[in-house]
Amino acid sequence: MTTTPVDALELVGLVRRFGAVVALDDVSFRVAAGEMVGFVGPNGAGKTTAMRIALGVLQADSGRVRWRGRDVDAETRRRFGYLPEERGLYPKMRVFDQLVYLARLHGLEREDARSQADRMIELLGVADRARARAESLSLGNQQRVQLAAALVHRPEVLVLDEPFSGLDPVGVDVLSGILRRQAEDGAPVVFSSHQLELVERLCESVVMIDRGRIVASGRIADLRARDPRRLVRVEVAGAPERWLDRVPGVRVLEPLAEGAVVELDGASESDVLDAARAAGSVRHFSVVRPSLSEIFRREVAR
Amino acid sequence: MTVRRRMWPIIARREFVERARDRGFQVSTAITLVLLTGVIVISAAFNRPTSFDLAVVGEGSEALGAQVRVAAAALGVEVVVLELADEAEARRAVDAGEADAALVDAAEILVRADPPDQLVGLIQAVSVRERSRRALITAGLTPEEVDAALLQARLPVHALEPADARSRETATVVFVGVLLLYGQLFAYGYWVASGVVEEKSSRVVEVLLSTVRPSHLLRGKILGIGLLGLGQLLLIGLVGLFASSAVGSLDFPSGAVATIGLVLGWFVLGFFFYASLFAVAGSIVTRQEDLQTTMTPLTILILGSFFIGLTATSNPDSTLATVASLLPFSSPLVMPTRIALGEASTWEVVASIAISVGATAAVIPIATTIYSRALLRPGRVQIRQVLRPDGG
Repeated sequence: MTTTPVDALELVGLVRRFGAVVALDDVSFRVAAGEMVGFVGPNGAGKTTAMRIALGVLQADSGRVRWRGRDVDAETRRRFGYLPEERGLYPKMRVFDQLVYLARLHGLEREDARSQADRMIELLGVADRARARAESLSLGNQQRVQLAAALVHRPEVLVLDEPFSGLDPVGVDVLSGILRRQAEDGAPVVFSSHQLELVERLCESVVMIDRGRIVASGRIADLRARDPRRLVRVEVAGAPERWLDRVPGVRVLEPLAEGAVVELDGASESDVLDAARAAGSVRHFSVVRPSLSEIFRREVAR
Repeated sequence: MTVRRRMWPIIARREFVERARDRGFQVSTAITLVLLTGVIVISAAFNRPTSFDLAVVGEGSEALGAQVRVAAAALGVEVVVLELADEAEARRAVDAGEADAALVDAAEILVRADPPDQLVGLIQAVSVRERSRRALITAGLTPEEVDAALLQARLPVHALEPADARSRETATVVFVGVLLLYGQLFAYGYWVASGVVEEKSSRVVEVLLSTVRPSHLLRGKILGIGLLGLGQLLLIGLVGLFASSAVGSLDFPSGAVATIGLVLGWFVLGFFFYASLFAVAGSIVTRQEDLQTTMTPLTILILGSFFIGLTATSNPDSTLATVASLLPFSSPLVMPTRIALGEASTWEVVASIAISVGATAAVIPIATTIYSRALLRPGRVQIRQVLRPDGG
């Protein structure tokens, strides 16, 4: 898939205030067609607000949302797929009817809508519940129907707010596969998540937001390359409490059950290994790349 | 594949189909129709033309009875004369209710407890005339002279406000119509409000708003529910009309059809006005439990208008009824009665419709604004707050 520079979903200079609170402060990022982007940040950072504005559910105080180089209007947004953070289905409506209805609202003809609804419930493994009322479904199945609702109209653009929360490992795999296929078919896919390992596994690029500001965005590999830190993961059995604190030139980033991920701040890898051997029997020792959460913490702190 | 089209018909269709499919709706419609048919059949059974059974026994009774029957027939009352063997038999018949009264020897009237006034009055009148006739003949007048003197024409009755059978029947039909209108406006208004709350509380509204404008959502909802209400009203009207004609209780079917038309028309006028307000009541809360509170002003408004509507069926030209038939919130429940009873002048009808349409046209944009702005706000929303210029 070749992408021209404008073949992308672009959020440009979005500002949104709620009373005195600035929820979005000049938020800009782009998701190219065919690209899957993770949108990460702590609770209340502005992810949901940005996504709602992208879908026109909420109005921005200023800024623009563009798709393929043009400002999006209601007609364009109809071809977007959206999974809101607050899931919602008609409790008393049958699953199949619900999907047909939403597909119709996105502009599909009746027959097309019906066959798409069939396809989606098959794809998400809820075909046996097609005639059931949404309220009678388990939470996991409701979540699958919700995803089907976001995808039923063959959206050109996918904006998903926490799509993986509430899914079991099988559901996560199914959804990962679906999203990859959507991206391969040329849709820009952006989803928010707190499961950073998952984002790292699925996405080539991320957008990091904190307190309404974009703190970093781009390819994960590039962000990692920008991170000059050298990290070591070390695990030692039978070591005294807090033995790492006594090793000079080392800072603990992430404590583990029998050790930690440490940043080398003056010490060398072999200094740490020597200290570990002195402390007890070494179970694990490796030089590691900063994880997405470590990159995020560093970017926020900058 | 995807085409530009209007979304509100799709929304209206869902509202209509999902609600018509609802088991509760189907059952309550069926119950309404059964009740209506039952009331029509039962009241027809009670409304047969007045008829009395008169037992006659002893000398002269039979002849007098025959004259009573003739005199009664002239007044549109049926009297069936039963000839019995003796007084004991007559007492038994009256006591058992087989006869409403017994005439004994043309000289005594037997009744059970409460005398049937109309029958007794007839017997008395005929008896007085017969006895006067005999007294005058005994006094020496010829029977011809007596008859000429006694057989006088009845005094003509001039009603100041002629209540003909047709308007009596119309009053009954329009009374039922106002009853139905009240129930329909309230029930379907409530459906709009609770439908709005359902979308808000289930959060499905956010999915909808990503592809539909709030104004279309509101328009589709009100239209779909309104069409269902109109359809149900039409069904009730047709079943009522059919049942009434089947039991022969309608002497003026064309009048009933016109009244049903009036009721349907004013349902449309009233529903859009009230539905917009009910939508606002629904949009400012998130839970069904809170809906009762925000609906209270509307409930009072409809109930008050309904009572004025009821008084208008007996007193359609009172000042209260006249004023209420012009106000947009009460006119749907008052004006149909005044029109059906011929008490509304043309200008009043035109003014009432114009005010109703105008008020609805004024209410809809305000309601749409409040609705649109309140939809995504959690909890109880203050109307003043969302109507501020920066409220969106």
